[in-house]
Amino acid sequence: MLGLIHNELLVIIGRWRSYIGFFGISILMPLILWGFVHGSNELHQDYVRELGGTFIVIGNIFNSFLATYIIMNTLWIHIPFLITLAAGDSVAADGSNGIFRITLTRSVSRLKILVSKLLATYIYTATLLIFCAFWSLGVGSLVLGTGDLITIDNGILILDESQAWVRMALSFTLAILVMCTVATLCFMFSAMVNNAVGPIIGTMFLIIISYMIMGIPLEIFEKIEPYLFVKYFNVWWDAFKDPIPWGEIGKKLGILGLYSAGFFCIAVYVFLKKDIKT
Amino acid sequence: MILETKNLTKSFGLRKAVYSLDLAIPTGAIYGFLGPNGSGKSTTIRIMTALISPDKGEVIIQGKSVQAHGNMALSDVGALIERADFHKHLSGETNLQMLARMNGTDFTRVQTVLDRTGLGTRGQDKVKTYSQGMRQRLGIAQALLSNPKLLILDEPTNGLDPQGMKEVRDLICELSSEGITIFISSHLLDEVQKICSHVAMISLGNLITAGKIEDLLRDSDLLLTEVHVNQVADAVQLLYNQPWVHRCETNDGVLHIGIGQDKITDMVQLLVQNHIEVSAVIPKTSLEDLYLSKLGTESQI
Repeated sequence: MLGLIHNELLVIIGRWRSYIGFFGISILMPLILWGFVHGSNELHQDYVRELGGTFIVIGNIFNSFLATYIIMNTLWIHIPFLITLAAGDSVAADGSNGIFRITLTRSVSRLKILVSKLLATYIYTATLLIFCAFWSLGVGSLVLGTGDLITIDNGILILDESQAWVRMALSFTLAILVMCTVATLCFMFSAMVNNAVGPIIGTMFLIIISYMIMGIPLEIFEKIEPYLFVKYFNVWWDAFKDPIPWGEIGKKLGILGLYSAGFFCIAVYVFLKKDIKT
Repeated sequence: MILETKNLTKSFGLRKAVYSLDLAIPTGAIYGFLGPNGSGKSTTIRIMTALISPDKGEVIIQGKSVQAHGNMALSDVGALIERADFHKHLSGETNLQMLARMNGTDFTRVQTVLDRTGLGTRGQDKVKTYSQGMRQRLGIAQALLSNPKLLILDEPTNGLDPQGMKEVRDLICELSSEGITIFISSHLLDEVQKICSHVAMISLGNLITAGKIEDLLRDSDLLLTEVHVNQVADAVQLLYNQPWVHRCETNDGVLHIGIGQDKITDMVQLLVQNHIEVSAVIPKTSLEDLYLSKLGTESQI
C-alpha cells in the first residue's frame, strides 16, 4: 500500500495543476499580511472599541494569531476550491488519460488502488493547509509578531501566547479533517466520471448551495440544515472556545467522518463496477 | 490451455458487443485475434484483462477465473491494450518504476525491459518527448515488466513505422521462443500470418472460426500454391489423383494446387520424376483470403 501511495504522490507532484493551490496561497497570503500590516490600526481600533468598556488595552493586540484567526474565517470557499483542483484529478485523470488501461490490468486490486489515491489526496490536502499555516502563522509571526490571542464570539476569550500556539495547532488539525471531507466528496465525483472539471464543479456547487441554504432564514431550510455537511465545517472554531468542547468536536468530526465514509463507499461501488472503455 | 473464455457475453445497452464467445488459447502459442472494426475484439480483450465485466461467462487464466479472483488472476499476465498511455510528465523509467512498485517487481527489471524494447538510452526522458512508436515500445516494456507467462497485445504495432513493426514482430517471435504465450489482436493480416500459429476470427461479437492457421486454410480449401510447368495437362492428370492434393485447377496455363506446405517437396519430386519441368512454385494462399472468405459476408450481416 505504501508503494501505491508513493506512486500517487509522484503523480500529484508531477502535475502542474497541483501547484495552483500553493501558488494561489503564496500570492494571497503575503497580500493579506501586507494588508494587515498597513491596515492593522483600523482593525486594532475595532477590537479596542469592542473591548474598551471592559478592559484597558495596552500595546497592539493585532498579531499573527489574530491575523490567522481572521484569515481562517475568510477562506472557507477558497481552500475547498484549491483542494478540488487536485482531488478532481485523482481518479478521473487516469481514466481520461488511458492510464487505467495500464494500471488496472496488473495484479493489484482496484480497491487498493482507490484507497491509495484517496490517502494521497488527503496528504495533499494536509500539505496545502500546513502551507497555509506556514504563511499565516510562520511568516505572519515574523511580520506581525506574536502575543495573546483575543477572540470575540459569544463573549471574549483571551489566550496567552503559549495557549494560542496550541489552539492554532488544534484548529488547523480540525481544518485539515474538515477539508478531507471536501476532498472525499470531490474524490467520489472523480470516480464517477472521466474528466476532472466535473468533480470540481460538482463539489463547489454542493458547497455553495449548502452555504446558501444555511444563509436563508426559512423554517424549511432550517430543518434541512442538520443534514448539510457544511454545517459542521466550523468545527475548527471550537478550538478557540474555553473550555474546549471536546464532546461537540467529537460529534461534529463523527458526522463529517460518516459523510466521508459514505462518499468513499459510493466511490468504491462505482469504481469496482466501472467498465474501463477509455 | 493457458487462457480460456467460456460463454463470454457482453452488451452495451441494446448492442451485443460479444456473444457467447468460447476461446481456448494453448500454452506456448502465438494466437492471432482477428475481426473487423466493432467486431468485439477490444471488448473481449478488456474482459480478459479485468477492465470490463462480462454480463455472462468467464475468463480463465491458468485455471483461475478473472471474474472470481479479479486482478489476482492476472499475476502472470502482461497486457498492452490499444494505445500505450503513460504519465507524460514523468520519464519512461519513472513510469515503469511506478508499475514495478505496484507489483513488487524488482527495479532491475526496468532497465532490462527498456533495453529489450530499444529504449535503454531514452528511459530518463519524459514520456511527452517520445514519438508514438517509442510510446508503443514503452507499452510493450511495461507488459514485460513482471515476467509474464501470457502476453495480451491489442494492436501492438499501431503507430509504428515499418522498421518498428518488424522490430515488434521479431520481439514477439523471440518472446514466444522463450515460452511466453502471446495473444495478439491486429488488423494486419499479413503480419498475423507471419508470426501466429493459431488464429480466431470474430464478427459482430460471434466467433466465426478458430484453430491452427494451416488447418483452417486447408479445411477451407484455400491453401493454394501456384505451380509453373511446361506440360500443364500432364501435370493436372498426374496430381489430380494424389490423395494429398485437395484441389487442382488451371488458369492461363498456370496450375493452382490445393496442397499442404509439407507436401510441396513431394509434389515437385513427383513432377520431375515424370519428366515435367517445374519453373516456379509460388505459395499464393494468404490469411487475407481466409479472412475475406469467412468475414467478407459475415461482416455485411
